[in-house]
Amino acid sequence: MRDRRLAALLRAIGDESLDRREFARRAVALGAAATTVAGLLAACRPVGDDVASAERATRDAAAALEPLGPIEPHLSIYNWSDYVAPDTIPNFEREFGVRVTYDVYESNEELLAKLLAGARGYDLVFPSSYALSVLVATGLAAPVHRAYLTNWGNVAPLFLNPAVDPGNAHSVPWQWGITGLAYRADKVAPPESWSVLQDVRYAGKMTQLDDGRDVIGSWLRFRGHSLNSRDVGELTAAKADAISAKRNLKAYLSAPVKGQLISGDVWIAQLWNGDATQARAEQPAIEYVLPREGSTIWADNVVIPRSAPHVRAAHEFMNYILRPEVGAAISDFTGYGTPNQQALARMEHPVPYPTAEQLRRLEYQIDLGRDTAEWDQLWTEIKSA
Amino acid sequence: MGTSGIGKLPRWLVAFTAACLFLMHLPVLVLVAFSFNSSKFAVTWTGFTFGWYRRLLERDDILHAVQASLIVGVTATAIAVALGTLIALALARHRFRGRTVYEGMMYVPIVTPEIVTGISLLVLFVFLRLPLGLTTIIIAHVAFCVPFVVVVVVARLAGMDENLEEAAMTLGADEITTFFRITLPLLWPGILSAALLAFILSFDDFVITSLVAGSGSSTLPLVIYSMVRRNVEPSINAISTLIVIATSILLYASDRMSRRNEPANA
Amino acid sequence: MGNAGGSAGTSEPARTHGFRRRALAWLAPRPQAQAWTLLAPGTLWMIGFFLIPVVVMCAYSVMPRGEYGGVDPGFTLEAYTRFLHPVYLTILERTFAIAVATTVLCALAGYPVAYTIARSGRWRSLLLFLVVLPFWTSFLVRTFAMIFLMRDTGLINSWLMAAGILREPITMLYTPFAVLAGLVYGYLPFMVLPVYASLEKLDPSLLEAAEVLGARPAARFRRVTLPLSAPGLIAGCLLVFIPSLGSFLTSDLLGGAKELLIGNLVQNQFSTARNWPFGSAASFILMLLVLGAVLIYLRLRPPDSARGW
Repeated sequence: MRDRRLAALLRAIGDESLDRREFARRAVALGAAATTVAGLLAACRPVGDDVASAERATRDAAAALEPLGPIEPHLSIYNWSDYVAPDTIPNFEREFGVRVTYDVYESNEELLAKLLAGARGYDLVFPSSYALSVLVATGLAAPVHRAYLTNWGNVAPLFLNPAVDPGNAHSVPWQWGITGLAYRADKVAPPESWSVLQDVRYAGKMTQLDDGRDVIGSWLRFRGHSLNSRDVGELTAAKADAISAKRNLKAYLSAPVKGQLISGDVWIAQLWNGDATQARAEQPAIEYVLPREGSTIWADNVVIPRSAPHVRAAHEFMNYILRPEVGAAISDFTGYGTPNQQALARMEHPVPYPTAEQLRRLEYQIDLGRDTAEWDQLWTEIKSA
Repeated sequence: MGTSGIGKLPRWLVAFTAACLFLMHLPVLVLVAFSFNSSKFAVTWTGFTFGWYRRLLERDDILHAVQASLIVGVTATAIAVALGTLIALALARHRFRGRTVYEGMMYVPIVTPEIVTGISLLVLFVFLRLPLGLTTIIIAHVAFCVPFVVVVVVARLAGMDENLEEAAMTLGADEITTFFRITLPLLWPGILSAALLAFILSFDDFVITSLVAGSGSSTLPLVIYSMVRRNVEPSINAISTLIVIATSILLYASDRMSRRNEPANA
Repeated sequence: MGNAGGSAGTSEPARTHGFRRRALAWLAPRPQAQAWTLLAPGTLWMIGFFLIPVVVMCAYSVMPRGEYGGVDPGFTLEAYTRFLHPVYLTILERTFAIAVATTVLCALAGYPVAYTIARSGRWRSLLLFLVVLPFWTSFLVRTFAMIFLMRDTGLINSWLMAAGILREPITMLYTPFAVLAGLVYGYLPFMVLPVYASLEKLDPSLLEAAEVLGARPAARFRRVTLPLSAPGLIAGCLLVFIPSLGSFLTSDLLGGAKELLIGNLVQNQFSTARNWPFGSAASFILMLLVLGAVLIYLRLRPPDSARGW
């Protein structure tokens, strides 16, 4: 016990700036409890922060070519609930003789907080694009050994080489979708533009997602700006638009809005396309439109955390989900699009890839780095308005 | 027991209590009804089905999570009640330096936003190299349940008659015997209240649990919250219904048993 | 342990018994040591698994924020000065207003319920369990059921319209009313249980005495029942008020997420905003306000209950 504390203290002294060194020196004087505190302070830093990212990329590229060991008998998946087809896991377990533990999280942020704090034991995680960029930037994503992915050729070109993970060095695309407007065709005309949310005729019958990035992003697009803007003028205008729309909104509501669309309490909702598809199964009058000013395209990805204990089994799972029939079953179950072009042809309810014209209006959310806190301040001000 | 009994209470009081209890159970009735609804969404009634109960048999994840939640809830409640009752005894029965500050500090964990408790514990567990799992969840749950137990038991102890205990000691029983034979039975309603509170806190906790859970230790709230991103399947209503029914049967049985013993105690 | 008689002839080994007697003899003249023997196990747990981690968070609140969450080395009070921005003070004010309203409503509804249960004789334990039974279900599923009840096209509006009481549905969901209803519902057991625990020990003969002496029911309640159950009522108020200050999901789900409470603000800082220092600072400001208020209350409280053994 003492040794471990001492080691932590030495680490804290060794790789920190002068301030921390001074802090740690005082901690020694204060005794064991304070030592623990000093070690904890050191522990809060993202794990791989100390290596320059370029250097890490070179090292990872080399590591990705090395062979892996035999398939481990166990695999720990950390994902959203119900985000695979019911038979995906049992079939994998049977075929590969691997026992799978499936744990669930509620949001990308929960996943990031745990991995950044240093939680271990997970072999596969499923971050959205912007969360993937954080995992890559902090060195928490392990390099993918492409040699083990014999089905890699099935991935549609559209999803290769994303900006958040150049060359797909750390990720395999999983599901994709867009954020647009779902509406009740029996109550309203198709809402072509985000401006419908400012239309008082539908006051109290409309919702936007409960997510600052999505709400501010929609109003940035409305004025023709990038939804990743960091320009103060553009953001101020977006805030004003968001506030004027807020007066008409019934609520900021994410996935649970499906029920309200079905019941007719809500007529127009900012929503993901997969969710609109699910709701339409219950209420055929629900339609979906991509506003003409444009919106978000998103993709969730499969990533192996650097601390993963079962790397080979994780690669086998990645390769397994790239099989056409497996990918098709998953996307048929989730209602979202598959990045697997061979799977697309086999789906019962295929979600077609965006056309070239639509792609020009779609943007991926990029992680905002240090500006994240400024965006949050805007979001707080919108909610308090 | 002459003046107690529901018949002696004012009508309006009984009616008010009945109305409150009805309102509290109304959402539960809705929840139960939707466990028999054929629709995937808890929105409109589309027809009667037992399908969501059958579906439970295929959902190992839900059943596994219920098991994890019960283990955590029972263990954490037992530890928290033991630790909290001792603290409450010290606070209510003893004068010691710093007592007021100590009692005030007991309220700090209650006001600490859960995410702060959760993240700080996660950092601690990672630092101590404790593998995240049921153990870390239990440790965290005990930490946030103890203050609730203390507050409830202190309220019970306040102004409680100490004559019986003094009599027992005069008759030659030592402190420990007196505690188990006299104090504990007198405290029982307070301890029971505290235990019920601790259990429902633990059984329903999401934020802290999500941060200190590890591979293979997802509790029921984690599974349910994770479903929100898509749709909370009515099989969750089914399992909730089963839990409520099982609890009711258990409570009814234990009530019957304790009632059979009652004449002996009276 | 249960059958350990004080004097002769127990089955316990003599050694244990001797140790127990010696320990108790040593403790008898030492009230401080008695107190700390009782406090030690719980206190150690709370220091290890609450205090130390929270002190660390306190340190985070004066450090610069890290780009991806966490903190960078250094010292800054930026998080605290930021909190003085009017937006955040408004949020603090609204949070306190909602918490006060929740507490008052819980007391008004919870006290009569607890009183009835405590006086209900053989129904007592069954009624008590009925109070907590709804909480054996998940908060989330229960809240979705409330949404179903309160929607414009929901059950309550349909009933009222079918009964001819309403012509147009009233908007309940996504209003402050819905938030308050959800909070009162969620925290009601925190009021009922402690009030019940203190009312249950109330000696009926005291009330009979008051009755014999000619006190009317209202006076009996005001002069006897209420003062004797005050510790439970105060405990209940604290157990409702303090956690409702930190609540965040109810206002999102039933209030439509159109306004923020402190709980939402803190939650956001640790998740989407990735500003741990600000989240910690907001929490510590809240904690200090509450700790201060509780300490003032404890100082003012008549020192009745603390008699040594």
